[in-house]
Amino acid sequence: MPERILVTGIGVISAIGNSVAENHLSLTEGKCGMSRLEMFPSKFSGSLPVGEIKISNRALKEKLDAFEPGMTRTTLLALHAMNEALACSGLSNKEISSEDTALIGASTVGGMCETDEMYSDAKLDTPGSEYLASYDYASTNMYLQKRFNINGPSNTINTACSSSANAIMYGARLIRSGRAKRAIVGGVDSLAKFTINGFNALHILSNELCCPFDEGRKGLNLGEAAAFLVLEKESDVTGKKIFASLSGYSNTNDAFHASSLSEDGAGPFTAMKKALEIAGLKTSQIDYINAHGTGTENNDLVESIAIQRLFGDAPPFSSTKANTGHTLGAAGAIEALFCILNLSEQELYPALHFKNPITGVGLQPIGSYKKTALNHVMSNSFGFGGNCSSLIFSKA
Amino acid sequence: MFYIHQTSCISAQQTFREVDLDMIHELSNNRLCAIEPTYEEIPAGVLRRMGKAVRMGVGAAMPLLQNNPKPDGIIIGTTNVGKEECGKFLNQIIEYDEGMLTPMNFVQSTPNAVAAQIALLTNNHGYNITHLQLGLAFENAMIDADMMLHENPAACYLLGGVDDLTFNHYNFEDKQGWYKKENISNKDLFQTDSRGSIAGEAATLFLVSNISESAIAKVRAIETFQFKNEEFIKEKLQGFLLKNLDAGEKVDLLLTGENGNNLVVKYYQSCESIMDPETTVARFKHMSGEFPTASALAVWLGCRILQSQSIPEHMIKRKGSNTDYKNILIYNTFKGLQHSFILISIPA
Repeated sequence: MPERILVTGIGVISAIGNSVAENHLSLTEGKCGMSRLEMFPSKFSGSLPVGEIKISNRALKEKLDAFEPGMTRTTLLALHAMNEALACSGLSNKEISSEDTALIGASTVGGMCETDEMYSDAKLDTPGSEYLASYDYASTNMYLQKRFNINGPSNTINTACSSSANAIMYGARLIRSGRAKRAIVGGVDSLAKFTINGFNALHILSNELCCPFDEGRKGLNLGEAAAFLVLEKESDVTGKKIFASLSGYSNTNDAFHASSLSEDGAGPFTAMKKALEIAGLKTSQIDYINAHGTGTENNDLVESIAIQRLFGDAPPFSSTKANTGHTLGAAGAIEALFCILNLSEQELYPALHFKNPITGVGLQPIGSYKKTALNHVMSNSFGFGGNCSSLIFSKA
Repeated sequence: MFYIHQTSCISAQQTFREVDLDMIHELSNNRLCAIEPTYEEIPAGVLRRMGKAVRMGVGAAMPLLQNNPKPDGIIIGTTNVGKEECGKFLNQIIEYDEGMLTPMNFVQSTPNAVAAQIALLTNNHGYNITHLQLGLAFENAMIDADMMLHENPAACYLLGGVDDLTFNHYNFEDKQGWYKKENISNKDLFQTDSRGSIAGEAATLFLVSNISESAIAKVRAIETFQFKNEEFIKEKLQGFLLKNLDAGEKVDLLLTGENGNNLVVKYYQSCESIMDPETTVARFKHMSGEFPTASALAVWLGCRILQSQSIPEHMIKRKGSNTDYKNILIYNTFKGLQHSFILISIPA
């Protein structure tokens, strides 16, 4: 057995809270973070529910003391979550700056949240805004690396909506390979005119609260979030709180279609199966699945079929996207963090907005909050381009 | 590390299929655009819908995927894949004022589009990932490939670096001073003493595995750094060579990413300063222009040089006494912010 990879720090900001404690309380209370869009003007601000964090960029800058030019909302949210994760882990400045501390981020929007500025900067006849160097996906990671003086392996990963699950997996593999002793891993995405219009053009945004795995589901709600985990090797961890261990991970491709999953869910099926193999676990040992569960017609049906195919009787499951919205590049990390809370608190949170099971499938997500013994939980993340990943976390 | 078995490259020079590096294609508007082939292996209906980056990436990958066992995964480094479609969708949003938009550009705007399209066209369900850390995107892809080959010793991976030059990207970079204000010929790139470089693009793909037999190159070591000065880089390079070269071995060729930008030339000078007289120093960005995954093209060139045991005259900055090219060190910096050393050798 390879050495265990432990989670020793967590940090999150989302539509259901600005900290781990606030997110935890919201999950236990079954709070839905959806509201009307307020932070930037869009034609859809009155009609589409979104999981928006109700703190303005100005307020974030003041709170975080981050007034550098070109600071985007994406970077601000990431900084907010990373501050919490690092404080939580108790890593010293020396450890953070050592050459064997990795920083692995993920995003699908990056600095494109500044959609209007980007449009104007792309034109030849304008002098250029403060955001010119911020549009790129890696700009958030570059900022965090400078701010915290991180000198180890640094990477930004994209596998569309499964990006931050892969950031977590990559960080763990860096540790297992000996290229890093510890890794700060996670993802971030902020709401943007770009993604709202993109998903709207695909006709997969619901104008009602999204209801994952419900027969009457009409699509997804977009959200924004950032979440980071601190991963360390078991032999390096003494005398600090351990939230969970990362015991399995996988990355496969559905190789079917650019923006939807194959009917039999080959990608999701293989992703879950391979993660179990890495963890050395049987299907019967998984006590809960935090499903990808976007609330779209295609995803929820295919994911259900893949779960039934692999597990036979599905373990308790839910999609916390009904709480936070689909946070795209941050989804893998925030849902991993929620799985870690399931394990560390030994509890399951209620699934929201579910009424009727999908015809012919019949799966019912978790009904109400309960305290229960949990040893192993799985988190699924799938994305455009067929990218499918599963993570398995185990009780510390 | 691992072995390179086959390579394929679409760039601004004659690098695809019938390679000819002696004749340089000349361009004078500070943009070196790729010479695109006809892409016969890609179905016409699919090709029509592809943006340039995806076309180049998939097109360069195809020769490596035909007549070979299916690779166990696809590992791509990029900065710009998806940006062209991103720009088009952005224009739709603003110009149609968030009206009725067509989603095709949006679906293709994610940077994983090349890795995803290759998987889709070749029915590859294996490991599939895209690394985006700007000037270290390809280096991170190489490190990932190395880790995958440790985890799955019998496997083979398709590894690549892909960046296209989009209108938006050119403008963002140009406004920050990364391209020259005066129009120059790429042939004169190293005679200039001004700020900025010229823009470029390429798609470079490799088949890599742990098998040494019939390999064309061995990747021996990679190190990366960010936000460091030239003295730090020089010290790290000395340590890198001590650690990774065996006793009696020398760097026969230092291949650098010097790009005509007088603000970053100090990093290259610093690395050249510790090379012995035996070592030849060569450069390549007059052939390709500057782009974030240029180091992938450098590795491709390194493989050519190891195979042919010759270097085109126009690449040579300083001729060393040793003309036996066994060990090639590649040093590249992206904007003086990100740095990498890659050591490749003739397979033992």
